[in-house]
Amino acid sequence: MKVIYDWLKDYVGEEMPSVEKLDELFTFHAFEIDGIEKAGNNNVIDVKVLPDRASDCLSHRGVARELATLIGRPLVKDPLRETISLSPVTEQIKVTIENEENCRRFGAALVTSVAIKESPEWLKERLTALGQRSINNVVDATNYVMLALGQPLHAYDATKFQQTGGVWHFGVRMSRDGEEVTTLSNETYTLGNNVQLITNASTDAPLGIAGVKGGKSAEIDGSTTAIILEAANFNPQVTRRGAQALRLQTDASKRFENNLSPELVPYALKECVEIILAIAGGNCEGYVDVYPNPIRNVPVAVTLSHMNALLGITLTPEIVEDIFTRLGFSYEKNGEGWQVTAPCERMDICIAEDLIAEVGRVYGYEHVAAILPEKRSITEYNALHYYSEKIRECLVAEGFSEVLTSSFSKKDEIELLNALASDKRYLRSTLLKNIEDTLDRNMPNAELLGLSHMQVFEIGTVFEKNAEGNDVTEHSALALGVRTKQTGYSPKDDVRLLEVIGRVEALLGCSLPVTKMQGVYECNLSSLIVSLPLPITYTPYIRNENILFKPYSMYPFMSRDIALWTPEGTKAEDIESLIRTHAGELLLRLSLFDTFSKDGRTSHAFRIIFQSYVKTLTDTEVNERMQVIGDAAVGLGWEVR
Amino acid sequence: MDTKKTQGHRHPMSQMIAEINSIFAEIGFVFAEGPEAERELYNFDRLNVPKDHTSRDMQDTFWFRSGDVLAPTVLRTQTSPVQARYMESHTPPIRIIVPGKVFRNEATDATHEAQFYQLEGLYVDKGVSMGHLKGIIEYFFSKFFKGDVEIRFRPSFFPFVEPGVEVDMRLNSGNSKLVGKWIEVMGAGMVHPKVLSDSGIDPKIFSGFAFGIGIDRLGFMKYEFDDIRSLYNGDLRFVNQF
Repeated sequence: MKVIYDWLKDYVGEEMPSVEKLDELFTFHAFEIDGIEKAGNNNVIDVKVLPDRASDCLSHRGVARELATLIGRPLVKDPLRETISLSPVTEQIKVTIENEENCRRFGAALVTSVAIKESPEWLKERLTALGQRSINNVVDATNYVMLALGQPLHAYDATKFQQTGGVWHFGVRMSRDGEEVTTLSNETYTLGNNVQLITNASTDAPLGIAGVKGGKSAEIDGSTTAIILEAANFNPQVTRRGAQALRLQTDASKRFENNLSPELVPYALKECVEIILAIAGGNCEGYVDVYPNPIRNVPVAVTLSHMNALLGITLTPEIVEDIFTRLGFSYEKNGEGWQVTAPCERMDICIAEDLIAEVGRVYGYEHVAAILPEKRSITEYNALHYYSEKIRECLVAEGFSEVLTSSFSKKDEIELLNALASDKRYLRSTLLKNIEDTLDRNMPNAELLGLSHMQVFEIGTVFEKNAEGNDVTEHSALALGVRTKQTGYSPKDDVRLLEVIGRVEALLGCSLPVTKMQGVYECNLSSLIVSLPLPITYTPYIRNENILFKPYSMYPFMSRDIALWTPEGTKAEDIESLIRTHAGELLLRLSLFDTFSKDGRTSHAFRIIFQSYVKTLTDTEVNERMQVIGDAAVGLGWEVR
Repeated sequence: MDTKKTQGHRHPMSQMIAEINSIFAEIGFVFAEGPEAERELYNFDRLNVPKDHTSRDMQDTFWFRSGDVLAPTVLRTQTSPVQARYMESHTPPIRIIVPGKVFRNEATDATHEAQFYQLEGLYVDKGVSMGHLKGIIEYFFSKFFKGDVEIRFRPSFFPFVEPGVEVDMRLNSGNSKLVGKWIEVMGAGMVHPKVLSDSGIDPKIFSGFAFGIGIDRLGFMKYEFDDIRSLYNGDLRFVNQF
């Protein structure tokens, strides 16, 4: 919810904490602040309102109320605490609600002789600062009141809304299969039977999608002179299902989905009428308000001991009562606790824990003192983790590297309903394909990695249909892959795999299932473990210190060999040092691969890997470096073979 | 064939999980697990996230096709369903950690992956308070980052806890880049009484706390990763650094 700092002043008063102070107060006592930005002369604060506070704080008044609580001052103006009445009552508007659970309240006002024109500057400025488009004075007034109080409203052109017997007759009902409605933005939706509609009850034609978006048929335009304003309260679940079915989430639906209080209706309607009379002229002919089953907050019981026990803070009754007062909650003493009633717009206070959270955050969680945990031995050991760890250590000692690969695959047994991408539509039933891909992908980098061949493994979950074919099952799989030749699979790979499988079998004291292998092997680890003894201890994990990730180059590498004749007794390190110095920043890896002596001289052969972090190296560049290294060696009296 | 010249490398994720388990085992936390293909019931309803409620929007979910499963099933969006599964089959005192893979149906970039790892913690006993939560989180981070750690709470909302908090940490010693900075590390809170009672635990007798941390995120802090995707693409230029 984006709020304008100066708008909050309307309610909090001129004496406001600075933007920085407000940021800090909210961050530690109420909401995360997603950002603060300037829009023209306005400071716009992006307050992250989570579902628990969306019933009251998707509004400037709600956010201002919160701020008032935190600074311990009452609001100078609180539109929700004013005494109002929707009078006079008009006989010209009637409302028929099909289901009182789905539409909990329906208020409307008839305003005649309005002049539709541009909104005044102050109104346009506030709307545009919040990224809203100004449309005309009447529509802007409805949006303004929504942003002020959180209650969505809608304005209908009364002339386009066909009367019967001098009466405008609203209906609220669920849609029928195949029914069509065209919204204000000129999109036509064909509905199922799960969308609540506002209709003209006389003709049964839709006027709009209840709580989501108004219809085209009674749209306000430049020639409108009489309007009907609607402020209603729609069931959160029904609104949500409708908005989801139409894939149409709006500022209004978002608010209704979060269970607005029906008590907001008259305040919003009254305020909107007043603004319209001020900026569009006209006369308010009267109101209707259909509210068959009033929803009132009931008292919630909480005790001081429960509060202190959960928060881990020692609060006195005085502190707690002061916080209730600051929150605007009314309370009655009840033994060592209270019966607390939250104001109507706070639909989130339902159980003792809700009150405890309120008191805790306002008082400040910085008062929670850490209680150190005592050592305690465990009685239950995780066999999968225990044996996976053993296997990992064994394989790593054998030179295998562990990978984690995607659980999604391009084609397999189980297809997701809503995949992220066409190549991730299925879930993997095997790790083999990923292990093969891993070998393919890493093999070209063998030299770069300083490996003569690739050995990798993964322990991960795979998914398949159960035996009956009516449900999904999963298990942990262990997969191994070996590649000894750049050209691809060779039978030598399987020889090595069998050797390593033997090591794992010796480690676990059981045999692994034999399968046909082609450089990759997989077995069901979950079913293997079932037959193994239950672990009775864990080996504490000791980590290598200070390993930090270093970004690697995305550009291709190049390798070159150099062999140098040096006087017998020349140390390999001295030669390495010379090569490093002259190869410069492009040198990635240097390895000695051959040494022999003959006639008082020693030959050292090195492989040099060059790679740049910023570009693809050319042959010429690398050859130049090799020339520099060769010249330096010759300079020392060595000979390049 | 000379294959044993070089040692292989463990993936940093499994290293972190092993280390996390070692740290928590010391104070009696059991390593628990649950399915990655999880029933909607456990992933949402039993965690006080009812159908048609806006709290479901907090996580984008992968769903299984109804023809493939006996009951509505998702790729778990969090390790939290294991809370409910463990509580219904055990009686307090309960101390568990659940490290595991979770899934979110969202576009990937350097800091977001559709699959990543989460660590769940749950502690249910008589008289558990936010003080215990703070103490245990402080204990864990000071061990994991090998330094003196300070913890602070900020109010937040997760449907399965009340009160709910975001947890920030600050490392006050050592030579890590993190020293002296407040960093948001996890969500946590006191287990919602409905979650307890739905799992057969009487909230009038027992209370508890729960927390959830992205382990990948811990890796960004600990190993200074720069791209979450490199954890899951099988590239040994990444893995073999660890």
